[in-house]
Amino acid sequence: MKAAIIGVGQSAYTRRPEPGQTTHTFIRDAVVAALQDAQIGARDVDGMAVTSFSLAPDSAVDLAWKLGLSLRWQLQDTNGGSSAMNMLGHAARGIETGAADVILIVAGDATGLAGYGKIASNYNIVTQQHLAPLGHGGPNGVYSLVTSRQMKKFGLEKSDYGHMAIAQRQWAALNPHAVYRTPLTMEEYLAAPMVADPLCRYDCVPIIAGAQAIVLANPDRVPQGRAPVRVRAIRHSFNYDNQEGDGLKTGISTFADDLWREAGVGPKDIDVASIYDDYPAMVLAQLDDLGMIPGHDLKRYARETIGERRFPVNTFGGMMSAGQPGGPAGGLNGIAEAALQLQHRAGERQVADARLAVATGYGMTMYRYGGTAGAVVLERMA
Amino acid sequence: MSGGVGIWRCNGCGVRLFPQRLLCPHCYGAAFAEDRVYEGVVEEIAVIRHMIGQADWKPRRIANVRTDGPMLTVGIEDASGPGAVVELFEDGTAPLGRAKR
Repeated sequence: MKAAIIGVGQSAYTRRPEPGQTTHTFIRDAVVAALQDAQIGARDVDGMAVTSFSLAPDSAVDLAWKLGLSLRWQLQDTNGGSSAMNMLGHAARGIETGAADVILIVAGDATGLAGYGKIASNYNIVTQQHLAPLGHGGPNGVYSLVTSRQMKKFGLEKSDYGHMAIAQRQWAALNPHAVYRTPLTMEEYLAAPMVADPLCRYDCVPIIAGAQAIVLANPDRVPQGRAPVRVRAIRHSFNYDNQEGDGLKTGISTFADDLWREAGVGPKDIDVASIYDDYPAMVLAQLDDLGMIPGHDLKRYARETIGERRFPVNTFGGMMSAGQPGGPAGGLNGIAEAALQLQHRAGERQVADARLAVATGYGMTMYRYGGTAGAVVLERMA
Repeated sequence: MSGGVGIWRCNGCGVRLFPQRLLCPHCYGAAFAEDRVYEGVVEEIAVIRHMIGQADWKPRRIANVRTDGPMLTVGIEDASGPGAVVELFEDGTAPLGRAKR
């Protein structure tokens, strides 16, 4: 594919929005930052994709209006944690076919905790009818059950997930945008209050207010002196198993081989990974589906490969430390981080000579686990 | 409250489903009969100790329960743990379980 990421932008991330800060203002701040970063003007933009839980009752065209963007390509995505990946795929094809020249991909939310609580109880009809009346606790309850299954199947202990949380916090300390940057110890992790056993506070992604934006265009639009980041291959999956499995595999398992074949590279060629991390168990599930965990040894991968940072996973701190704006807006931060790493602009957390990255999205907790997933292989162009 | 949990049986291939579907994911038939499951085995338990946006939350237990039909997520009203056989019932649309007497 010839479409390339040429710029990225981010609003402030905050646990507690100030009066006057709304989903719309966070999105505006991210858009302005992305346009500045890409060194283009708003008039250059002719396509926009957006995802947000809290944009309503506005829709994408209202956002375009309020941003003063006149478009010939537009998309509003509703695929939860894989929305960003889905938008990237559609946008890349939009550039490829000439439907648009410059596409803004935007994700932002400012639901507040009470607002997110309402979303979590009304996620779909099945949740409204069969889960929320149980007091299931939203996704925390669903993924506590998935995590228990994964622990049983793979012989994992709670501390295995702790190593992942601690490593991501170490990365977050190098990311000025992350909401949690203070180092985390194993003692603190193991002593943290339980939210939904076996998930403790540090296993549950913190909901924040904020927004992210990236600019996709032909590579020749990239600012001088910066490498464009090409979409080498991208794949998606929706409702991969009708919720009849155990949730320990994701939709990525249905397309991983095809993704690598299309990309012309394999898991061992990847320099840096952004894996959608609403819960640590799902990071391991996605990495395993991608074929990145040798021998399906999740325990060793959690403790050593991620825990000792032998391979760079979620170098911005992941959503677990950097924060998850709402729900669907998470995921774009991982793509943006991969782009920064491949452009060698990640500052103190830069992975040396990064040339290839993989990023994923996972979401839409339909009943017992998520039903959507996507993954992209990104490449630094010469 | 009523005994068992309502599920759906595909008239075409007989597969038992929960929640309700529009088409059977196996044979794509569109006709279903109401059916029930009455007991199951607890596979995993979660204690929901915190609810987003609620300060006065009292912990609740939910479980993944294997039945002779579909896997269910149910609320558990007692101390039943993994491996326990629970009888299933429902309160409105909420599937619930408790230790089988």
